[in-house]
Amino acid sequence: MLSVSRAVGLVVLAAAVLSFPGLAPNPYILSAGIVVLNYAVLATSWNFVGGFTGYISLGHGALAGLGGYGTALLVTKAGLPSFVALAVAALAVAALAVPIGLAALRVRGASFVIVSIALVLILLLVFQSWSSVTGGSRGLVVPRPFPDLLRPEHHRVFYYLFAGLLALALLAWWVIDRSRFGLGLKAIREDEDKAEALGTPTFTYKLIVFVVSAGFTALAGGLYALWFGDLDPVFQFSILTGSYLVLMALLGGVRNLFGPLAGALIVGTALEYFKGQFGNTPLHLVATGVLLGLVVMFMPDGVLPAITGLWQRLRKSPQSSIREVSAADLQTERQRAEVAK
Amino acid sequence: MRSSLRRTRWATALGATTILALGACSGDGDGGSTATDDPILVGISLPLTGDFSEPGKGVQQGYEAWAKITNDKGGLLGRQIQLKILDDQSNADRVVADYEQLIGSDEADLVVGPFSTRLVVPAARVAEEYGMLFVEPAGAAKEVFSQGFKNLFYAAPAVANDHYNHLAEYLLALPADKRPKTVAYAAMDDPFAQGTAYGLKDKLEAAGIKTVVNEVYPPNTTDFSSIAAKIASSKADMLVGGSQYQDGVNLIVALQQLNYQPKLAAFSGAPTNPEFAKAIGNKTEGVLSPTGYSPDAPYPSNKEFVEKFTAQFGKAPDEDQANAYTTGQVVAAAVTAVGCAEQGDCQKKLVDWVHGNKVETVVGPLSWDQTGKPQGAHMIQQWVGGRIRIVLPEAVKEAEFVYPKPAW
Amino acid sequence: MPSGALLFQSVILGLLLGGLYALLAAGLTLYFGIMRVVMIAHSAFLILAAYLAWWTHTRLGIDPLLSMIVTVPLFFGAGVLLQRGLLSRLRAITLTMMSVLLTFAVALIIEGLLGYAFTGTQRRIQLGYGSAGLQVFGARIAVVKLIAFGLAVLALAALYLLMKKTTFGWALRATIQHRDAARLVGIDTERVAGYGFGLGLATAAIGGTALSLDTTIYPSLHWHWIGPLMAIIVVGGLGSVPGAAAAAVLLGLIQSLLQIPLGTTWAQTIFYLALFATLAFRPQGFFGGRLAQRF
Repeated sequence: MLSVSRAVGLVVLAAAVLSFPGLAPNPYILSAGIVVLNYAVLATSWNFVGGFTGYISLGHGALAGLGGYGTALLVTKAGLPSFVALAVAALAVAALAVPIGLAALRVRGASFVIVSIALVLILLLVFQSWSSVTGGSRGLVVPRPFPDLLRPEHHRVFYYLFAGLLALALLAWWVIDRSRFGLGLKAIREDEDKAEALGTPTFTYKLIVFVVSAGFTALAGGLYALWFGDLDPVFQFSILTGSYLVLMALLGGVRNLFGPLAGALIVGTALEYFKGQFGNTPLHLVATGVLLGLVVMFMPDGVLPAITGLWQRLRKSPQSSIREVSAADLQTERQRAEVAK
Repeated sequence: MRSSLRRTRWATALGATTILALGACSGDGDGGSTATDDPILVGISLPLTGDFSEPGKGVQQGYEAWAKITNDKGGLLGRQIQLKILDDQSNADRVVADYEQLIGSDEADLVVGPFSTRLVVPAARVAEEYGMLFVEPAGAAKEVFSQGFKNLFYAAPAVANDHYNHLAEYLLALPADKRPKTVAYAAMDDPFAQGTAYGLKDKLEAAGIKTVVNEVYPPNTTDFSSIAAKIASSKADMLVGGSQYQDGVNLIVALQQLNYQPKLAAFSGAPTNPEFAKAIGNKTEGVLSPTGYSPDAPYPSNKEFVEKFTAQFGKAPDEDQANAYTTGQVVAAAVTAVGCAEQGDCQKKLVDWVHGNKVETVVGPLSWDQTGKPQGAHMIQQWVGGRIRIVLPEAVKEAEFVYPKPAW
Repeated sequence: MPSGALLFQSVILGLLLGGLYALLAAGLTLYFGIMRVVMIAHSAFLILAAYLAWWTHTRLGIDPLLSMIVTVPLFFGAGVLLQRGLLSRLRAITLTMMSVLLTFAVALIIEGLLGYAFTGTQRRIQLGYGSAGLQVFGARIAVVKLIAFGLAVLALAALYLLMKKTTFGWALRATIQHRDAARLVGIDTERVAGYGFGLGLATAAIGGTALSLDTTIYPSLHWHWIGPLMAIIVVGGLGSVPGAAAAAVLLGLIQSLLQIPLGTTWAQTIFYLALFATLAFRPQGFFGGRLAQRF
């Protein structure tokens, strides 16, 4: 049941997102908003796998790229209307995620990461080389879905489309989070062997959530392609994109519905800031690396839980004995207890 | 802790709201008036870091030289030129964001082009959709001109596919028994580099000269031994490399390791680089390269450019610097003729003027067709007697064409 | 049909390349064996070593091979520090995933600093014997490639002897095979793990120097290496050093031969096809390595 405060929070958030185009002083700010929203959708899509199962994929940039190229090719080669092409491309990427998932998820942890990186690299090679279809290094131009709109209007329309997609992705995450299915996934995250022993069909669960994640990622990638208009394999299939998504989700907090969104806002702004601050040097890479390192070392649960924890301590609210903790937290607590003994 | 979990979510929601709101407020630009003594703000996005950063810096120097030389003479329309250069990190997403910022937020009066064909097309689309004139120094591949852009002009003598036109004419005019019979092509997977090699390939194939090797390698290739092995085993009479700089050097060194000796070797990009001779062990004699610019060219503005550029940067300008300077010259000519430099209707007048006129530049007189494609050809240079000299066309040659090429 | 000479030339080139792959993959395998860590920064350190070799040659004017006197101990120390100071402090339960991100971050930092110090310009060492070659049964082998291959073989042999013949090697192998049991028989596994990491990183120093002799280097080049190397260690069986070496030579050879009909770009895909095939049909790898089943 929605409490009053939650309803108010949701309304305020929605109002802020929806009123942004009206407040943006020029089309540049609006386009920057679209980029951040796109990151937010991608990071939320990533979090279906990363947040629920704890499997970290560095290859989601490739799934977005596939969505983009799929949409573009269906529009240019098959002549489908833009948004039909987008839907078909997302379904196709979701279908393709099944064999990828079969190979990547059979083995645990490390192999999954390696496969996710390999996915980016192999797709980069294929899309560069297969230039008769993909345009290769000459790039691929995506026809505009609304050719009559002026550029600022075009931005405005796509801003709302991205906002809608974000709402859809958040809703899907929320529904899974509260379902039995979600419970099974979180069991995998905490201890895959025990989850399996207790009868959770771990492999099927992982595969399903990976496919859902791939579908949303492809939708975001395809929508971005329709907005941006130009595709180039080097920029579509980049490991850096995937790593930004991981950074965003981790920084915000993978256990939180709004964690990736908050991460996208922080990292999106930070990337702009680093670029402005370090000008013509590649130190923005160093800054990104340091930020990622700090998050991994000191804040692996993200800023939101850290802030909430602080808030809690300040308010000294009584804790009930029934609470959700991660296996990692539990282990740390036990170690502390042992040391205390 | 169910309640605390919920609270986290709503804390996030509120946090997000705040950040969004802050973002919305912080963007207030200084919506300035355009009084006549305001400087003319020229917006540029260049790859100053990342894969294209080296030529990107050359282009930057060209623009800076243009602004300084023009301002020293009193500016344009009595207004000083002010450059605003953003770094696009050699990334297409960034280049678009940069031009959005330059046009939308900084309210640049004029924008000029970035470097590399891969970045020109997305950048030109932004300029086109805001109705801005877009003269660019680097988008030479034919794909740039097939996008239907009306505001785009390439400020150099010829597009990539026409770079070797003079060489093709020369070879086809040779008696049949002297012509090379087989050719090996190796081109970087880049629209510009491929364009130069394939422009020549099309003309030679049409005349019946056989292609025996046709290799494309990705821009990040560092080991050329396998490509070299293929070329060497084909024993082609002639070698054409669609190269930038380092890839051309690597290919030549790998071919030297295999002791392959062609009768002719042509590379786009590499041989004009000042470090080329040292990099391949000074065995440069006879290596060919097309170029759109020579510091010795007799055009009136070129003398001034070379002199002042050398004074400013302590070295003679290269093709990248010259192309950027040329871009500035074209824009300046239009602004002076039309008498305005600001966003809005003025831009349409500027575009119309450039379409209808010929501009004198450091690379010679330039004019364009409806797609913005320049109507000229490149000169062919060759390493003769330890220096790179113009050998084709006949009218401007500085040395005799050396054929066949001595061993390297 | 390609000529016999071209095929022979390609086989030689493939073997030379495979030797370098083998050395680098050995380092990656060590990390994985010791800590179940996929060390993304391995190839960034490789490029760092190549830059140091290049710098030694251009600034100090001495042979790039001499740079190893400094880089090998330096990288060994860096490896120990990386393991003791950073990786061992991560929570054990999420170690595999978080270590990927941490080493990814290290790779980004190295790439950014290299770009800052040396700009993005492509660099290449110009050696007097750079374009020299030897004629062997109709094939030509570049002298620099031969030196690089020799370095790789020497380093691998030294690694093998260290692992098989010394007390430290015995302790290291015990730690890799069963950490808890190793601790029970009195091995200081923490320290051994740190030294093992140093050893892995030292292979990157040697590999980087070998690499710098005959190729161009630039800061983002490490992305180009990490993919094939990771494919090699999976195909070879995660954690198995001989497996990684065998897979490296085999894949290097296939890549070189595939370049004849397919060209450079398509030939690179063999690494990823082999990776996917391995995971789909034989996740424990084709050359032993029991660890992969579970990780």
